[in-house]
Amino acid sequence: MTAVTGEAPLQGSGLLGQPLDAREDPQLLRGEAVYVGDINLPGTAHMAILGSPVAHAKILSIETKAAEQMPGVLKVATAADFTDVMPLPCIWIPGGVESHFPPHPYGLPGARPVLTGDAVRHVGDPIAVVVAETPRQAAAALAAIAVEYEPLPVVTRADAALAEGAPQLHEAVPGNLNAYWTCGDKDRTEAALAEAEVKVELDLVNQRTINSPIEPRGAVGDYNAATDEYTLYASTQGPHNHRFLLAALVLGIPFNKLRVIAPTVGGSFGTKGYLYPDMALVLLLSKALRRPVKWVDTRTGLMNSTVQGRDHRQHVVLAGTRDGRMTGLWATSYANLGAYPSTIGPGVATALMGRSISGMYDIPAAFCEVYAAFTNTVSLGAQRGSGRAEAAFLMERLVDRFAAEIGMDPAAVRRKNLVPNEKFPYDNGLGWTYDSGDYQVNFDKAMALSGYADMAARKAEARTRGKRLGVGIATYVAICGVGPSTRMSQEGMLGGTWESANIRVNPTGEVTVTVGSASTGQSHHTVFAQVAADELEIDPALVQVYEGDTLKAPYGQGTYGSRSYSMAAPAVALTARKIKAKLVKAGAVFLGVPEEKVVYAGGKVYEEGNEENAKTFADLAMAMWYGWGLPHEIEPALDETTHFDPPDFNYPFGTHVAVVEVDELTGETEVVAYTAVDDAGNIGNPKIVLGQIEGSITHGLGQALMEAAVYDEQGLLLSSDLTTYALPRAADVPFFTLGKTTTPTPHNALGAKGAGEIATVPPAAAVVNAVVDALSDLGVQHIDMPLTPEKVWRRLRGEAQ
Amino acid sequence: MDLSLNVNGRPEQFAAEPNELLVERLRDGLGLTGTKVGCDTGQCGTCVVQLDGRSVKSCLVLTASAAGSRVTTIEGVTTRGGELSGLQEALRQEHGTQCGFCTPGMVMALGELVENTADREAPTEPEIREWLTGNLCRCTGYHSVVRGVQRACSAARTEIPEEISGAAAVSAPGGPGPEPASVPASASASGQEV
Ligand code: FES
Ligand code: FES
Repeated sequence: MTAVTGEAPLQGSGLLGQPLDAREDPQLLRGEAVYVGDINLPGTAHMAILGSPVAHAKILSIETKAAEQMPGVLKVATAADFTDVMPLPCIWIPGGVESHFPPHPYGLPGARPVLTGDAVRHVGDPIAVVVAETPRQAAAALAAIAVEYEPLPVVTRADAALAEGAPQLHEAVPGNLNAYWTCGDKDRTEAALAEAEVKVELDLVNQRTINSPIEPRGAVGDYNAATDEYTLYASTQGPHNHRFLLAALVLGIPFNKLRVIAPTVGGSFGTKGYLYPDMALVLLLSKALRRPVKWVDTRTGLMNSTVQGRDHRQHVVLAGTRDGRMTGLWATSYANLGAYPSTIGPGVATALMGRSISGMYDIPAAFCEVYAAFTNTVSLGAQRGSGRAEAAFLMERLVDRFAAEIGMDPAAVRRKNLVPNEKFPYDNGLGWTYDSGDYQVNFDKAMALSGYADMAARKAEARTRGKRLGVGIATYVAICGVGPSTRMSQEGMLGGTWESANIRVNPTGEVTVTVGSASTGQSHHTVFAQVAADELEIDPALVQVYEGDTLKAPYGQGTYGSRSYSMAAPAVALTARKIKAKLVKAGAVFLGVPEEKVVYAGGKVYEEGNEENAKTFADLAMAMWYGWGLPHEIEPALDETTHFDPPDFNYPFGTHVAVVEVDELTGETEVVAYTAVDDAGNIGNPKIVLGQIEGSITHGLGQALMEAAVYDEQGLLLSSDLTTYALPRAADVPFFTLGKTTTPTPHNALGAKGAGEIATVPPAAAVVNAVVDALSDLGVQHIDMPLTPEKVWRRLRGEAQ
Repeated sequence: MDLSLNVNGRPEQFAAEPNELLVERLRDGLGLTGTKVGCDTGQCGTCVVQLDGRSVKSCLVLTASAAGSRVTTIEGVTTRGGELSGLQEALRQEHGTQCGFCTPGMVMALGELVENTADREAPTEPEIREWLTGNLCRCTGYHSVVRGVQRACSAARTEIPEEISGAAAVSAPGGPGPEPASVPASASASGQEV
């Protein structure tokens, strides 16, 4: 029995905002957390996938006999074995799905089959699988599968894929154009550009990057013939979503026959929310073999199969006045979707980017058009800060170009154009309505914290050391809290995007919280317990959180778009309020006083003014469990659920300032100081958020300085492991200077905005702005990322881009 | 071939293929899944274990070449569910872990650094970052890990009794006196405000 309630009165909101230690950490630090690769069910067989070695070819034949005879091999399967399995759906169709009701399940033409049989469309495209007794045997047998190809021409760039005579990827998609998508007011923007006093333009390449969670993906399928039920263990950030997509849209089995379990997941950053062939294959093969089937990817496999990010080629234009007012913004973007439409990649490349391009600025006319095209590369998907990072990059590069053009301080231009407070809620004219913000305060704080006013002196000092110091600012608005289901359906999302939570109060007073969300490293067990304990005003140690298992947790959409704390946590808070409301009703009965007189405070229920005679949380939990003496209108027990569908998105924002030193001799760029002032509304656990902000900035710096997915002309991914794809290491980053502002959102019970990935949005722009600043006296107006020493060195020597 | 290893203090005998990797033996053969595999190329450091007291990437070591050695894995650092080591505790306090996939490798790699600082000046921030270059972390951006090491090292030093630290200072080549770590972990931490 517990006697925790009451002693330390936790005043409602008192617990939120406190840096509680993550309760997940000890077992992670001891190496005891179980990731999918650590799951070894009795009798497990091992699957390996044969990926295409060429980027584009017709498959003439596949010969598997030799592989079948290899030691330990249990089964070799190709597309011919899965003709009754539906292709993997794309559920975010740019431009809306109003015409589909009930919602059209299959998404876009060109959908990826679980194994390709007719043609291969990118290196790594899965052609066949082997299941064997050991992973080594499975991998060895892959080499014995003989595939005969008829090579086809290859295209790896979106703009090239749309050109006359380009190689065609899908019969159903003539011209490779998945979507031509627009937002904003084209006529007004054209007029603003035509009338402008000043107009600046840039051609930008937002290079393709690879998220590279340190844990590669994996899946274990376990079919139970006795019950005809399937269990999938997978490194997923959305177990419920994957259950829905797999059961209803791929396998065609009843929803309640599939259970999806996300064990500990080793990072995701967007990539593990997508549906991949392996998830279906391990289930199908487990059924065929009546054994659990396990697959764990390699790093090179991940690089050639897990969705990649960014990848836009853009022409962008900004119009303004000589005194620094921005009047028109135009973006034309060619987005590279890769070979197949991924689960939500087409939406990321269009709406998530396009509607965000004007950022924190009040620009009267803006327009964005996106040509989303298929090419012979890995499918495009989300990537920490996805869409919004691409938007911030183009906007913030343009502001600096504009400032240089009119000879004004980049900070002054920005300050002049920030959305003023009185305009909230602010319709950005591109489809988003910003909820709340105090952009001036945020901006000024970043300028002050970074010491922006002293940069001239620092530049002069750096020159004495052979270094060119540059400073770059980037601001952003990151649409988060995806999202209001109806609004998302208008965006083309096939599926609700609400989130849910259940709270069950156990008879002994402990609280069990289950959520539909699923952590990929965000310490949900800590934070959701904190939220429930805060609302219920009880010790967080009494609260246990469960998630990640569709059998045990209520439906939910999962962790993406920085929505756990701004979607799932409000659902927890609302559920706790239902519990409290019920306890007040029941308390009136137990105390024998009218309901209006009943107070819930400090985890106790008492009659106003008579706190001595309180019923503790534990008392009430037990009493409700017994249910004795309750009138018929009050159900016994305490078990409540909330499905939270917010009225609108939420819009965190912020200002980052990068200070770099470029070495005159080597072209090396060192980030010597980095200041970030982010506003995520009310923050639940600052210790957790601090880690997310720091990791996010580092991730963004990676794109600016070193990361790039490089394809050669044959469509071979040259950067296909961690020796050829550079990730930031500890010595590549300094400590950051971080600050915050707090503007709560009105769109959820906690006033919380997304936080997890928001700080990935501006760093690339801030760093490129800084390096261009450092090189501006050489006439450099732009350098494409990543800013490798060689690239910068060439510019230092006056070579063209 | 028949081989033997001492793993976390326990003698292990087994038959291994000549091309078997140590990480395979540990994870698949001995069921010690705390050691992780994050890459195919020796870049990520998730597989770091200690081989005769030195941290090595177990995906780059053939089991056969380790025969007869002493191996310590993350399972050997603490008992299951047991008390955290000083380094682990410092990392916990600084939330030096998010998804945790890089974490066992970090702990194994950093153990050597932290232990060795008991008898010399605490490592500087650049030294810690340099030491960490063999371990990739995509979640934390390393900041909290660096703070954790700073905390662990300053804790390690304050725990040293006077006379021992005096003696240690003599043996530390060129090491200055046994002053307490100059930078308390919190003072150089970024982002107190968030
Ligand atoms: S798995 Fe050994 S270094 Fe990556
Ligand atoms: S904590 Fe996720 S990779 Fe380091």
